[in-house]
Amino acid sequence: MATLNMLHSERKPDKLRSLGILALNGMFDEMDAVGVLRQAAQDILPGDLAIVSSFGADSAVLLHLVAQVDPSLPVYFLETGKHFPETLAYVETLKKQLGLMNVIAIHPDPADIKRFDPTGELWETDPDSCCHIRKTEPLEPITEQFGGWVTGRKRFQTKERGVLPHFELTSDDRIKVNPLAYFSDADVNQYKIDHGLPEHPLFSMGYKSIGCAPCTSVVAEGEDPRAGRWRGLNKKECGIHFDFNGAIASPMNAAKFTLYKDGAFIADPFHAWEDGDDAATARYKHVPVTVFLANREAFLDNQAPLGLLVSPGEKIEDVEQDLSRFSSIAIKFPAFTDGRGYSTARLLAERYHYDGEIRAVGDVLQDQIPLMRRCGVNAFVVTHQPTREALEENRLPEVAIFYQPVGIAEVPVGTRPYLRRAH
Amino acid sequence: MYRYDEFDAAFVEGRTAQFADQVARRLSGELSEDQFRPLRLMNGLYLQLHAYMLRIAVPYGTLNSRQMRKFAHIARTYDRGYGHFTTRQNIQFNWPKLRDVPAILGELASVEMHAIQTSGNCIRNTTADQFAGAAADEIIDPRPIAEIIRQWSSLHPEFTYLPRKFKIAMTGAPNDRAAIRFHDIGLQAATNGAGDIGWEVWVGGGLGRTPMIAKLINSFVPNEHLLAYLESIMRVYNRYGRRDNKYKARIKILVHEEGLETIKGQVEAEFAEVRGGVLTLPAEEVDRITAYFAPPEFKTGTATKIDVAYESIIDPAYGRWLDHNINSHRQPGYASVTISLKPIGGAPGDATDAQMDAVADIAERYAFDELRVSHEQNLVLPHVAISDLRTVYDALVAAQLAEGNAGLITDIICCPGMDFCSLATARSIPIAQEIGRKFASAERQADIGDLKIKISGCINACGHHHVAHIGILGVEKKGGELYQITLGGDATENASVGKIIGPGFEAEQVPDAIETLVDTYIARRTSADESFIAAYRRLGEAPFKEALYGNA
Ligand code: SF4
Ligand code: SF4
Repeated sequence: MATLNMLHSERKPDKLRSLGILALNGMFDEMDAVGVLRQAAQDILPGDLAIVSSFGADSAVLLHLVAQVDPSLPVYFLETGKHFPETLAYVETLKKQLGLMNVIAIHPDPADIKRFDPTGELWETDPDSCCHIRKTEPLEPITEQFGGWVTGRKRFQTKERGVLPHFELTSDDRIKVNPLAYFSDADVNQYKIDHGLPEHPLFSMGYKSIGCAPCTSVVAEGEDPRAGRWRGLNKKECGIHFDFNGAIASPMNAAKFTLYKDGAFIADPFHAWEDGDDAATARYKHVPVTVFLANREAFLDNQAPLGLLVSPGEKIEDVEQDLSRFSSIAIKFPAFTDGRGYSTARLLAERYHYDGEIRAVGDVLQDQIPLMRRCGVNAFVVTHQPTREALEENRLPEVAIFYQPVGIAEVPVGTRPYLRRAH
Repeated sequence: MYRYDEFDAAFVEGRTAQFADQVARRLSGELSEDQFRPLRLMNGLYLQLHAYMLRIAVPYGTLNSRQMRKFAHIARTYDRGYGHFTTRQNIQFNWPKLRDVPAILGELASVEMHAIQTSGNCIRNTTADQFAGAAADEIIDPRPIAEIIRQWSSLHPEFTYLPRKFKIAMTGAPNDRAAIRFHDIGLQAATNGAGDIGWEVWVGGGLGRTPMIAKLINSFVPNEHLLAYLESIMRVYNRYGRRDNKYKARIKILVHEEGLETIKGQVEAEFAEVRGGVLTLPAEEVDRITAYFAPPEFKTGTATKIDVAYESIIDPAYGRWLDHNINSHRQPGYASVTISLKPIGGAPGDATDAQMDAVADIAERYAFDELRVSHEQNLVLPHVAISDLRTVYDALVAAQLAEGNAGLITDIICCPGMDFCSLATARSIPIAQEIGRKFASAERQADIGDLKIKISGCINACGHHHVAHIGILGVEKKGGELYQITLGGDATENASVGKIIGPGFEAEQVPDAIETLVDTYIARRTSADESFIAAYRRLGEAPFKEALYGNA
């Protein structure tokens, strides 16, 4: 260990080295991936070269090259503990089929997990930190041990990569080897076919870029493969590079209308309350309960149409006598797993006989809409595309008969009318 | 037993189709794992260490031979030839494939079963005394009301995304075999001054990392108002239960932090609003459901006694089985039989497909086609004629299910632990197996008498170690496994939470430590009639502590 650290501290940018790298880049045919890798592994960095692979949808090609050149080349795999079981199975498949002899799983520090992610849900609240403890931190001591790294990056993937060479020198004087730099998508596929490489089990299911399970979803036909990673989160890629470099997710086309009511998406006259809005002059705003209560008199004097925004934890009882003031009441579902809004809706509809618009806002998804409806919600602000389609095509996943009397519109059915209901 | 009518059948079919659609969307990738997770959980599908795990509800632990045969079939066809009966009276399959799950649910629907709400933050399967409808000490059979609760809580739109899971347990007998004081809501049959039968309502019990004994929130709620009362509790919990911390989200924490009086005030205020409304349960409907649970047509005039002492001399193993695995029945000439799923060296609660088939055959021929799953992970034949006991025993011997150890030291409750569970910090099944081997001698077990050992592989306490006479909790310490021992827990009407006795033990030391505790008890008991727990209560922990750790 001591020697390695020493080596590391001595490693400083070196002019000769960078010149050498430039020369190297002229040596190989664009498509001679094996040649590039062999040169790196045997001549330039013998015993000092390694690779990090995600064992994702397009890792097989690079690993196949490794197997041909030197199956004992260290292949590091970030075992974040969050992978799909299919990915773990794929690691085994590739190891076996390609004869890779030196696949090393790197695990996050259990102390870090315990301290920062005891519930395993950090990816949900703070994916950057999740990646930090599960990928960046564990990888750091490993990167220090090698003078060169093989990557699977390709020019075609992003604009910045339009000039990706076979060999690069990094700012800390390590060499990055990119054997696939000139490969196109079609080349990769052809290579897989030519060499009978096994596909990642999830690839055929629509996963084109596969990382940890919680942070990966499916990409649509023609969408950037990496659009499926961290979908919905404002996160583009990990702080580390190798296989994880990615393009920027293409933003979903904003649908024109997001308010679904009475069987159609319609224009929404209402807007969210903003700082600086004035209680006396506001119109068509959903006023948060706290703001309303703080300025109750002014709002009651204001004759314009107004709505109310009820967030979880706020008690609808507090505005009971003023409910008729509002033509729309928005119930906030900050996460679809937060069920407090259902009770609020039922109280509004059943106990206070509020008969205006009750709308659900926030994380409104197709699997919860039927439940919301039963509780009295009659309008939905929908931004989730599959949910939008399900509503448009009138195919919500719903069991249409019920075991308990809820709401004001359901009718008794069956032999036990005290309990059984249908629409 | 309850039988589905068209409405029930259509409901389960609708739910199966809905879930099949969700699985299809997951397989096609339209649903991401984080969107799919709460949906699959709502239908009992977990992602475990090795594979998906499907948990199937056995409502209040009651099932018939057709249903048991279906489990056997599923084990054979879609799994690895066995199933695991749980402490929630359910069955789990540990190796189904996601794409097979809709087919499995279709098979279950054909025998009136499902996996609805066996996980997720919703109202789970209501559990009940495994001897319900049979026990001699019962005031009333709790299952008709349990069935009504099952229906009322099924896909309840308001209570599907609670702060945390919610478990209800019921008993119709004063001797609590359903651990109702360790559930979110416990219901115990009670009579009021006028002699009417209703329910004591206990709230806020639970195990897990913060074990709590439930508190009595209402000492008598009549059937008529029970659903309204439950809905009131649920609404208070849904609105005010903590959602900021998963470990503080159960209702026990709400009751503990706010105080029983505050919660009771909120529940009563809510109840005042809903009482007498749509949830009022008409007496005719209770009668109608009760009719499904009418006792079978018992024969009279058959043997009402069996001479256990005599049988023990002729066949000691049979004698032991009679001694421990028979529960008295309210009908003369009948008994309830516990089928132990705790063979020495086996995995507690596991049964093979062949064993499930054998049990189904026996139930069909000798037990009015009725079976139960107990929360102690055993099976029960609730109604067996005393004159058939020997035949039933012989059939169980043939199926390797005749272990006469119910309630004894080797009848261990044990969670799946590190062998299956992704949350585990330690192994638990191997510990149970080692303890079983240590105390394999049937004579020794009988001499030790009633003693409940329960083992959990982590602080989540699925193995109920807190309420064991001797509880074992596996924890991770400095990279290894360490086992903490607790003493004096009790899940019955004398509810108590066990106390940690001292520093933990390495896995290999655990059986010896248990033996030391047992020897201490044997040496100190007043007579063989004084059970371990009684002796512990009399003696306190000191002699046990001294025996384990010396006189420090
Ligand atoms: S990919 Fe997701 S879960 Fe994995 S480390 Fe990054 S954020 Fe965390
Ligand atoms: S107690 Fe822990 S290890 Fe055991 S089943 Fe529960 S969560 Fe898993």
